[in-house]
Amino acid sequence: MKKLIALLLALTMVFSLGAVAFADGEDITLDVIICQYGPNTEDWFLGSGMDGTNFVDKFEEANPGIKLNLEVVSWDTVDQVVDTRISSGQAPDILNNDNFSNYAYDELLEPVSQFCPDDLYEDFFPSFIAESVIDDTVWAVPDLASARALYYNVDMFEEMGIEPPTTWAELEDVCQTILDFYDGEVYPWGIDMTSDEGQAAFAYYTWGNGGGFTDDEGNWIVNCDENVEAIEFAISLVNNGYTNPNPATQTRYDLQDMFAAGDMAMLIAPNQLPTYCADKESTVNMATANIPANEGKESASVGVMDRVMAFKDESLSEEETAARDEAIGKFLKFFYDPENYVGWVSMEGFLPAVNSAVGALVEADPSFGAWLDVLDGCRFYPTAMENYDTVREGVVKAEQAALTGADVREELDAVQAQVAPEA
Amino acid sequence: MNKTLQNKIKPYIWLLPSIILMALFVIFPIMIVFRLAFSEVSKSGLMGGFVGLQNFKDAIGLPAFKTVMLNTLYWVISVVGLSTVLGFIIAMVLNQKFHGRKIARAILVFPWATSLVVQASVWNYIIKYEYGNLNNILLNLGIIKEAINWRSSYQIEFLWECGVGIFVTIPFVAFCVLSGLQSIDGTLYEAADIDGASYWDKLWRITVPLVKPSLTVSTVLNIIYVFNSFPIIYTMTRGAPANKTDTLVTYLYMLNFYDRQKGPATALSVIGFLVLCICAGVYMVGVMRKEEEL
Amino acid sequence: MNDTNAIAKKNRTALLLFLISLALTAVVLSLPAYRFTSSVYTKKSANTFVGDEKYTEVRAEVDAVAEEYRASGMDVSVSESVTERTNSKGEATSMVAFSVDQEFTKTGWSFLGSGLGSAWVLLAMLLCMVMSTACAAAGVIGSMGDDWHHLDGRSAAFRTASGVLALAALLLVPVFFMMNTYLMSRRVGLYLDELIPEGKDAFFAKLDGFLFGGQAGENIDDMLDGLRFRNTGAVWMVLPFAAAMMLAGIQIRNGSITHTLVRGLLYAFVIVLCLFILYPYYVMLVTAFRSIAETNDSDFLHLLPTQWRFGNLKDIVDRGVLRYLLNSLLIAGGATVIALLCGIPAAYAMARMRFKGKSVFLGFVIVSQMFSPVVLLIGIAQLIAALHLNDSIVGLMLINAAFNQAFAIWLLRGTFVSISPEMEQAAKIDGCNTVGSLVRVLLPMAAPGIVTTLIFVFINAWNEFTISSVLISTASNRPITVGITQFSNLNMIEWQNLFAASLLATIPVVILFMCIEKHLTSGLTSGGVKG
Repeated sequence: MKKLIALLLALTMVFSLGAVAFADGEDITLDVIICQYGPNTEDWFLGSGMDGTNFVDKFEEANPGIKLNLEVVSWDTVDQVVDTRISSGQAPDILNNDNFSNYAYDELLEPVSQFCPDDLYEDFFPSFIAESVIDDTVWAVPDLASARALYYNVDMFEEMGIEPPTTWAELEDVCQTILDFYDGEVYPWGIDMTSDEGQAAFAYYTWGNGGGFTDDEGNWIVNCDENVEAIEFAISLVNNGYTNPNPATQTRYDLQDMFAAGDMAMLIAPNQLPTYCADKESTVNMATANIPANEGKESASVGVMDRVMAFKDESLSEEETAARDEAIGKFLKFFYDPENYVGWVSMEGFLPAVNSAVGALVEADPSFGAWLDVLDGCRFYPTAMENYDTVREGVVKAEQAALTGADVREELDAVQAQVAPEA
Repeated sequence: MNKTLQNKIKPYIWLLPSIILMALFVIFPIMIVFRLAFSEVSKSGLMGGFVGLQNFKDAIGLPAFKTVMLNTLYWVISVVGLSTVLGFIIAMVLNQKFHGRKIARAILVFPWATSLVVQASVWNYIIKYEYGNLNNILLNLGIIKEAINWRSSYQIEFLWECGVGIFVTIPFVAFCVLSGLQSIDGTLYEAADIDGASYWDKLWRITVPLVKPSLTVSTVLNIIYVFNSFPIIYTMTRGAPANKTDTLVTYLYMLNFYDRQKGPATALSVIGFLVLCICAGVYMVGVMRKEEEL
Repeated sequence: MNDTNAIAKKNRTALLLFLISLALTAVVLSLPAYRFTSSVYTKKSANTFVGDEKYTEVRAEVDAVAEEYRASGMDVSVSESVTERTNSKGEATSMVAFSVDQEFTKTGWSFLGSGLGSAWVLLAMLLCMVMSTACAAAGVIGSMGDDWHHLDGRSAAFRTASGVLALAALLLVPVFFMMNTYLMSRRVGLYLDELIPEGKDAFFAKLDGFLFGGQAGENIDDMLDGLRFRNTGAVWMVLPFAAAMMLAGIQIRNGSITHTLVRGLLYAFVIVLCLFILYPYYVMLVTAFRSIAETNDSDFLHLLPTQWRFGNLKDIVDRGVLRYLLNSLLIAGGATVIALLCGIPAAYAMARMRFKGKSVFLGFVIVSQMFSPVVLLIGIAQLIAALHLNDSIVGLMLINAAFNQAFAIWLLRGTFVSISPEMEQAAKIDGCNTVGSLVRVLLPMAAPGIVTTLIFVFINAWNEFTISSVLISTASNRPITVGITQFSNLNMIEWQNLFAASLLATIPVVILFMCIEKHLTSGLTSGGVKG
């Protein structure tokens, strides 16, 4: 009996100790969640990867009165972490993620205008900002971007004496040539239709065939003829043996590993592929070309952007909210300060989202200039649309089902029916 | 009078710490799940108003519902069934006296001592076609002539997942049985030997009945754990292609965080709960009735 | 007591079996062991359909070449393969590949002179069989009629050696095949692709001598490139003879084949089981110390790392792995203590006391397990926030303890029930109260159950991932399962670091287990409790 009471007492004490630790003083503490982009992310923010110091220490030193409770979360779990925190009333103040629209539609976000200083706002590429607008309000700012292009193994193409393909027909011929030349020991082409990246495959092929997720008015056109043709083409590449054998489970990173090891001749990958290959100690000699499109159709470069957003905190008074907004503004200013931001973007091998960083980046690596041009003409996923998640999951499932022999049109019809029932 | 009252309350006091612990950290979250299952849930997880059975209707109407339920059935039956049989055999062997038994038992702990995410990653790496270790070792030992694609279809991938599931579950069953075997009084066997009983007689008349209680517990819990097992399938295939390798738990996870159909996802978890309740209930009623008869 | 004559007869039969097996092995080795097909000439013809003009033309050309070879006394045949496909313009095209093949066989005996590694294996196998027979003869002759209990040391040793040698011969048979496959397909391929640098000329010269009688010379690369081979299964027939020798060896050693075989199978089973279980850990170990390029090597060049990179360990330690391990120890240790402190009284009440709602409670305990932690996260997060246990190790201890209550209560209850209450009653008569009799009498007797529970809870808490990944926000509070995810991100899997960290995470659990393993075996049976 006494033991039990002692145990209960001990538990109570532990709880109350925890409570005391949280009753903090005057400082504003910002809860920040950052996604883990690569092996160095955590070291840069929290360790010693920023020339011996780290982002948080440097920020707190420069901004007394603001404390950062910064957490680097793996991409695998970030949605789970954030959603759970939201449902238990502990949404972070600042979140870095790839998707903002669900939080915006649930009215959880603060409009950017409330916390982003004007001079910083002016600094963002306008075309990027436009991707984060719902109902004429900007809900998030881009933190970085990447553009995707066709990467090919230069040594192999020189050995075979051929040029990278520009059309689908050429693509098929090149694939067959590679298959013949290397006796099937090299995968000519990489396709990733996994749950995490299948939407990219959808974009590569449908955009290259004049189709896509939406039409110009912003209506879903998932099952249009161009899309059906495009996906059937992609599936035929797999069925002809031109690709890696298991597109439904081999992720882009598996493909990149194969490319880095010289086992894959071509793949569509983001511009940080050279950084990735260097991290993997690879010596592959690579070059880029436009993503092949169907005959007579325009090649579209595919852009992906991640964002920074701020959550509302309704428990705060008006005054406190203003103070918090100011602190968030300071955080953003500090993050996008070229002194910090340039190091961050180039460490991860991404493309910048603000003009002020361009100069320094181009100076350090002239090839950046070309990428910025590509980025200019990039198309992005329609992440601001309300049913984007449903469509993304739908098209990925459709691709995977088609891999196992299902009819592409029927599968895409089913997705379209889910998001646009009246049509 | 006071004494009898004390005696009546006493058992509950002994149970109290356990009850508090479970009520707080298990029962309360379960209640939240039930509340969510009958409410509208937004894409980022905010709870809206009461919607009755709508989430359940949506969940059952999902196109993958049937595939996923069947997969779950195959998964539970194959993993629990085979790991129970193999675990029992291994426990019997490791209960014999032989040189190196201590080491063998320590080795058996390995698969259990490694988290499921890691186990799944290792096997993922092992069966990779392009640079996996299985091809490496078989080629370099001269057992195969060319690298083999070990995951050439989703059916085979699902078999691999079941195999990994069995691999990691065996130690649990084996140690449960082993602890049961330990508590068997050795004199029973000596008496049987004097009566001239054969090995199989001893196995069926003495060992199995006496190990049964610990096997019962481990099987019920095993069914529950395997039913709810998530990391193996999530790491190896994410349910791809098109939910063909999903079980209920991985499916509802994907539904929750990829599709963001959080309402139906929660309803699915309640459906899974009910299925388990019925299975475990039937099983336990059967077992406990027998126990009372003894 | 066995009759001397009967024993002598058995021994003579066994010896005869040895000799027959040896003779049959010699016969089997003179059968064709491998059938080889080597292309002496190949010709590919694009845009060719079977039966068209071009086809006929090329076919005639190939036939002429084959005829030439036949004239020089070689046994060759012509084969063709057709690849059909549709080109980008939608037209059907076809390519025909012709090949002039030479077929020949090699017997087991001819391998012995090849100088290949597998020849030595074959030789060792034969020697084992011969020596096994010799040992059997040496062990039996002179003590033909002796009961095996009364053998002198020398005879016994010879007889033992005879069985062991036969077993060795048995095991060498598959090694012979594996070595041949390795040398003639894999090794040749690696040399042809110029993936291994040295020894090519010497090795190819050996193969030339063995396969082509030294005729290939300069053309050896092409000849080997087109070489296909298939084993005829003849050498596998050695297996039953070696097995017969082994059984005969057991027979003359102690007479009880069943007992020896059962023990042998027991050891074989345990060894195979252990190897199988350790296989993933071998993979982790060798991968953990590989260079990145080698973790990703599609030529499968090395079974073991060429250079053991112990720097990988430093890498993961720099990234906080030791701290995560410490956190995991605290969480799992704390959870185990709490789970036992709450579980033992509950199980005791269930086993020894009568009260209303007992079966309801047992059901409630099981029901509490029926949701996956993934689903319960929201509720747990709300509760943890309300208790101000965010981001704390104590919170994880409590959660893990709660999740493992069901197992603890069920298993401990079962253990307690199986122990007769008499001893506790005796202790109570001696003046112990309930708690005293529980601690002093029941718990020591229930050690195996408690140890099982302890391991179970500890391991489950050690491996818990889902809940900690959401509740822990500070890097320094992460358990190892969450810490490891930084090496296996969606963006990049660092195989070597992931596996190094995973191995480190496995070791403490195994050490813990080895420390308490003896309690699994002691306890009830040895304690003489029932008396």
